[in-house]
Amino acid sequence: MLLECDNLVVRYERVVALEDVSIRVPESGVVCLLGANGAGKSSFLRVVSGLVKPASGDVRFHGESLLKLSPEEIVVRGVAHVPEGRRVFPGLTVEENLRVGAYLRRDKHAIEEDLERVFSYFPRLRERHRQSARTMSGGEQQMLAIGRALMAKPKLLLLDEPSMGLAPVVVEEIVEIISRISRGGMPAVLVEQNASLALSISEYGYVLENRRIALEGVASDLRGNDHVRRAYLGG
Amino acid sequence: MHELLLQTFLNATYAASYIALVAVGLVLIFGVMGVINFAHGELYMLGAYGVVAVYVGAQQSFLLAVAVGLMFVGLVGLLMERALFRPLRDNPLSGLVASIGLLLILQALAAIFFGVRMEHIPPVTQEVLRFSDGVSLPLQRLFVIVAAIVLLTGLWMFLKRTRFGWALRASAEDREAAQLQGISVTRIAQLAMVIGAGLAGVAGALTAPLVRVYPYMGHSVIVTVFIVIIVGGVGSLEGAVIAAIAYAFVHTFVTTFFDGVVADIVGLLLMLMVLVVRPTGLFGARDRA
Repeated sequence: MLLECDNLVVRYERVVALEDVSIRVPESGVVCLLGANGAGKSSFLRVVSGLVKPASGDVRFHGESLLKLSPEEIVVRGVAHVPEGRRVFPGLTVEENLRVGAYLRRDKHAIEEDLERVFSYFPRLRERHRQSARTMSGGEQQMLAIGRALMAKPKLLLLDEPSMGLAPVVVEEIVEIISRISRGGMPAVLVEQNASLALSISEYGYVLENRRIALEGVASDLRGNDHVRRAYLGG
Repeated sequence: MHELLLQTFLNATYAASYIALVAVGLVLIFGVMGVINFAHGELYMLGAYGVVAVYVGAQQSFLLAVAVGLMFVGLVGLLMERALFRPLRDNPLSGLVASIGLLLILQALAAIFFGVRMEHIPPVTQEVLRFSDGVSLPLQRLFVIVAAIVLLTGLWMFLKRTRFGWALRASAEDREAAQLQGISVTRIAQLAMVIGAGLAGVAGALTAPLVRVYPYMGHSVIVTVFIVIIVGGVGSLEGAVIAAIAYAFVHTFVTTFFDGVVADIVGLLLMLMVLVVRPTGLFGARDRA
């Protein structure tokens, strides 16, 4: 297993955000985490990338516990987090945003190659590489946020609601790219409210309800599950 | 009349130079740390006392004195990050209060070590550039103008062309997203404090022979700089430079043609006007959380 999370409990002040959550992510493919707004999906990703420390439980990446590590050290280990709401740096240009993604890398030559690769995934970013990120549309900012994460040369990609607030056409484009990236050998954890979209590109899924894992299974089984159909797929 | 205008122009350029150095440092620190450093005027004061100690006291060269001022005040900035702002990182308001406390301590220390009388610092050179009748620029003032242009251009290149510069700007815009790129916000905070404090120290050191040096000299500077960063837009480096130039020109011209008190009033009115028309300042970030 690439990522193993055991019995995670997360509390903010007195509010419980995650209760006894265990999730496993294999070396390849996309694992999705479904759930309504406020179910605790983002909290889970924030624990993995070290922004939030759990009250109890463990997170292991390649067998090594991440609990004692800072967010910077976790990036070094190969985890790249595309946060909710994209969070690109608005005053930096597109290219500067991408290069900040490679902040910890020293392999100059490979950085240039990866920049080219990101531009080939997202031609629109190449066209606008000198434009400041604040002038970009929501979809373009999402592409930039994903591209920025790829620039870290990660071993695992964490994607938090990449479809949020985007027009259906743009969502399709983003999903297409994510599945292309994953087929290229990049494992990913996809957190989504849009369940049908998430299940369409995932191998395995977890359903988070009231801060706990309510259901898990192979994506095709989840698609056929009555509860999932009623609660998340609209019939 | 023509000469007077030209002379006032030169005076304003000089004033804009050192105000911009102090203001840009303050904005840089605010951007990265989220703290308004009230002790910034005292960092300027310490730079001036660096010249008192090294140039007047130890009889070393002025250039060495400026370098010592820069490094010493940069170090003070580093210590401030470690001792005050880092422990108080999650509460910008207490950082601000702590910096007010530090302001008083630094003033008291300067008074203990150097006394409260004004220091007389002999100018490095009596040389004056004369352009025509009645228009002149003392070389000492030219130093300040040249240093400000060189340092601010250098800072600009650093912020726009280097990975540390990108990381610093990224941290100022979104600290958490910067962490997710592997940027250590502590390192960047240290960097911002050294640069911001160092710029204030350099400004103090360079202007020391031209102003009255005493433990409370930071006060008038910080008031001016606060007006400048509010007009420019708190958090905007470009805004700080442009507002420093605008303020220095308005203030110097009004002082010359009316008097200093009227100039202070006009400066404050200018700030109020900007706040009414554009509460974020002329170049204030629109999308800062």
